[in-house]
Amino acid sequence: MNRDTGLSNADFKGGIRYSLGRNWVLIFIFLELLIFSLANKAFFSIETIQLILFNGTEVFLLAIAELFVIITGGIDHSVGFVMGFATVVASKSIVALSGAGLPPFASILLGSLLTVLIGLLPGFVNGWLVAYLRVPAFIATFAMLGVTHGVSELLTQGIPAKNLPSLAGDIGNGSFLYIPPSGVWSFFVRPQVERGQHVWAIIPNMVVFSFFFIALFAFILKRTRFGRHLYAIGGNMDAAIRSGINVKHDLVKTYVVSSLFASLAGITYVMKYITGKPDAGANMVLEAIAAVVIGGASMAGGSGSVGRTVLGALIIAVLETGLRIMGLQTFTTYILVGVILILAVVIEQAFPNFKR
Amino acid sequence: MTSPVFSAPAVRKGRAFPKEGGLTDSRDVAQQGFFETGFGKAIARNWAFFFLILMTIVFSLTSRGFFDIVNFQNIIHLSTGAFLLAAAETLVVITGGIDLSVGYVYGLSSVLGAKVMQILSGAGMPVANVVLLGCAASLLVSLIPGFINGIVITRFKVPSFIATMGMWGICNGLTLFLADGFMPVMGAPEIINKIGNGFLLYIDPGKSVSFFQKPSYIPDTGIRQLVRLFPNSLFLTLIALLAVGFLLRRTAFGRHTYAIGGSMDAAVRSGIRVQKHLVIIYTLSSFLSGLAGLFNLFQTGIGNYTPSGANYELMAVAAVVIGGASLTGGKGRILGTAVGVLVLAVLENGLQIMGVSAFYRYIGVGILLVIAVIIDRAFPDLF
Repeated sequence: MNRDTGLSNADFKGGIRYSLGRNWVLIFIFLELLIFSLANKAFFSIETIQLILFNGTEVFLLAIAELFVIITGGIDHSVGFVMGFATVVASKSIVALSGAGLPPFASILLGSLLTVLIGLLPGFVNGWLVAYLRVPAFIATFAMLGVTHGVSELLTQGIPAKNLPSLAGDIGNGSFLYIPPSGVWSFFVRPQVERGQHVWAIIPNMVVFSFFFIALFAFILKRTRFGRHLYAIGGNMDAAIRSGINVKHDLVKTYVVSSLFASLAGITYVMKYITGKPDAGANMVLEAIAAVVIGGASMAGGSGSVGRTVLGALIIAVLETGLRIMGLQTFTTYILVGVILILAVVIEQAFPNFKR
Repeated sequence: MTSPVFSAPAVRKGRAFPKEGGLTDSRDVAQQGFFETGFGKAIARNWAFFFLILMTIVFSLTSRGFFDIVNFQNIIHLSTGAFLLAAAETLVVITGGIDLSVGYVYGLSSVLGAKVMQILSGAGMPVANVVLLGCAASLLVSLIPGFINGIVITRFKVPSFIATMGMWGICNGLTLFLADGFMPVMGAPEIINKIGNGFLLYIDPGKSVSFFQKPSYIPDTGIRQLVRLFPNSLFLTLIALLAVGFLLRRTAFGRHTYAIGGSMDAAVRSGIRVQKHLVIIYTLSSFLSGLAGLFNLFQTGIGNYTPSGANYELMAVAAVVIGGASLTGGKGRILGTAVGVLVLAVLENGLQIMGVSAFYRYIGVGILLVIAVIIDRAFPDLF
C-alpha cells in the first residue's frame, strides 16, 4: 500500500485493478454479449453483430459530434434536432432534385452534399455564439435546438417527407459485400440467386459510410494541430490562449464538426428509413452524451478519445439491439442507459489514478 | 463539482462588449453613459421584466383577444407546470449545479398518480381516499429521484449534469413502463379535473357570487357566461413560488444555498454541511417537479408521460437564465425566474393568438434565450 496516495500496487499501471478499471467498458460489452447469448441462442451470429452496428449508426455519429464539443469543455444540445433538420433537408432536396429530372443516384448524391453544406450552418452559428459572444454552450446550443426544430417543422409542415427514390433505401439497407453460395463475391449489388439460397451480406453500407468519417476525424483529432488544440482548449482555456492558439477559430470549427456529424447522422437516417422527420434524433442526445461519458471523457473538458467513445456507443447499441431481440420494450433501454451513465462516472471515481 | 458550462476567461482580446476602462470609441462612451444613469441601470438589471411589458403592449395592440383577463388567466393556468419546474431548477442552478431530470420526474409523477387513482377507484374506494392516496403516492415517489441524485452527486462525486441525465433516462423508462408504452393513463376520478380547472371566484354578473364552485343553476355548457377569477392553479403557483422565495431569501438554508453556489470551498470552510444541503436541494427540486406533474394530472384528468424531445428541463433552465441566474451558480432570484417563465409563456401565447405557426415559437424562444445571455454578459456587474 502506498502511504501517500492510499492506493495499493494493484491500482497502478500493470496492476489488476488498473486494467480492470481502465477496460471496464470492454468487459461490460463482453458481459452484455454473454448474457444476451445465453438468454437467446440465436443472438450470437454475424447477422446480429451487423444489426447492432447498423442500428447504432446514428448514435455512433452523434456521439462523435458530442465528443468534439465535450473535449473543449462545452456541450451541444442541438445535435438531435440538427440531425432531424438534416433528415428533412436531405429528404426534401432529394425529392426535389429527382423531381427535376435528375437520375436517382445523382439526386441522392447532390441532395446529401447540399445537406452537409446546410448542416454546417447551425454549428457555425453555435460556435460563433459560444466563441465570440461568450454565450455559454449550454444556452447557445439549446437555442439552436429550438431554431432547428422550428425550421424543420416549417419545412415539413408536420408531414414526414416521402416519395424518395427507392434507390435511397437500397443504399441505406444494402451491404458492402455479398457472398452468394456460388462463391462469387459482389460489391454493393445484391446478386440474383435462386429462391431459398442464403446470401451472406457483410458490413452494411451505412456502417462503412459512418466509420469512414469516424476514422477520418479520429485521425484529425489525434494527429493534426487542430485536434491537439481542442485538448489544450478543454484542458486549460487560459493557457491555450496564452500559448497563442486561436481559440475562437478552433471553437467555431469544433461546433461546425459537431454539426457536420449530426448532419451525417441525418443522412444515414434518411437512407435507412427513407423518410425525414424533425424529431428523428430527439431522444438520441441522451445516448450520445452517455456514450461520450462512458468512453471516459470528462464533462469539464480536456479528455476523451474517438475509440473509447465508439466503445461507449457500442455498449448502448448492444444493449438496445439485445433487448429488442429479447422482446423487451424500448423503455428498458432508457432505464439501463441512465444507470450505466451514472455507473460510468462512479467507476471513473473509483479508479482515479489512470490517465486517459 | 464541475460545471458543464463553458465560460470564457476575461483575458481575451477583442471581446464583444467593452468593460469598465476599456472604452475605445465615442459610441461605447455613450452606451456606458446611458446605462450608468439610474434609469438605464434599472432597465439593464430588469430587462426581462421590461421586455415582458413591451411584449404585452405589442401583443395587445396587434392581436385581438390578447389583452383580456380570460387570456391572462389562461396563460397562468397553462404555465403552472413551467413555473414549478423553473422554481425547482432555480434552486439547483443557484448551487451551481443543474437538474436535467425535472421534465421526466414531472411525467413520472403525473403517470404514477393517475395509475394509482385508476387502480384504487377500480377497487371501489371512496373518491376522496382515491384522490388523497394518489396524490400522496406520487408526491412521495417524486422525492426518490432527487434523493438519489443528491446522493450520487455528493457521495460519488458524479457531476450533476451526468447524474441528473442518468435519472432522466431512468425516470423516462419507468414512466413509459407505468404508462404501458406510449399511452396516457385514463381512469382517474373526474373530481380532480374540477379541482385542477376550478376558480376561486365565480361571478354571474348582477346575480350571484360564489366561491370554488359554480352556481348550481348554471349548466356545464353555460359556464362561459360566468366571470371566473383566480384559477386554482394561480394559487398553487403563488404558494410554491412564495415558499421557495421565502426559503431562499429569509432563511439560513437559503443563504447557505447562495454560499454554496458562490464558492463551494468557502462554504465547506465556513462550516456549512454542503453534502447534506445539496441532497436536500436536489430532493426539493424533484419534489417540486413531482408537484408540477401532479397538478398536470389535475388539470388534464389523465396521466401524461413526458414525450421525448419535449425538453421541459431545458425550458426550465431557459426561464431561469432569462430571469437573471447564472449557470455558474451563486446568482438567481425566484422573482426573476417567474418573469422568465412569463416571458416564454407570453411569447408563446401572443404568437399563438396572432395566428403565427407554432413552429416559429421554437425559433423565437431560441433567439430570445441567446439575447438574454448576451445582455447578461454585457452588464456583468449589474445583477
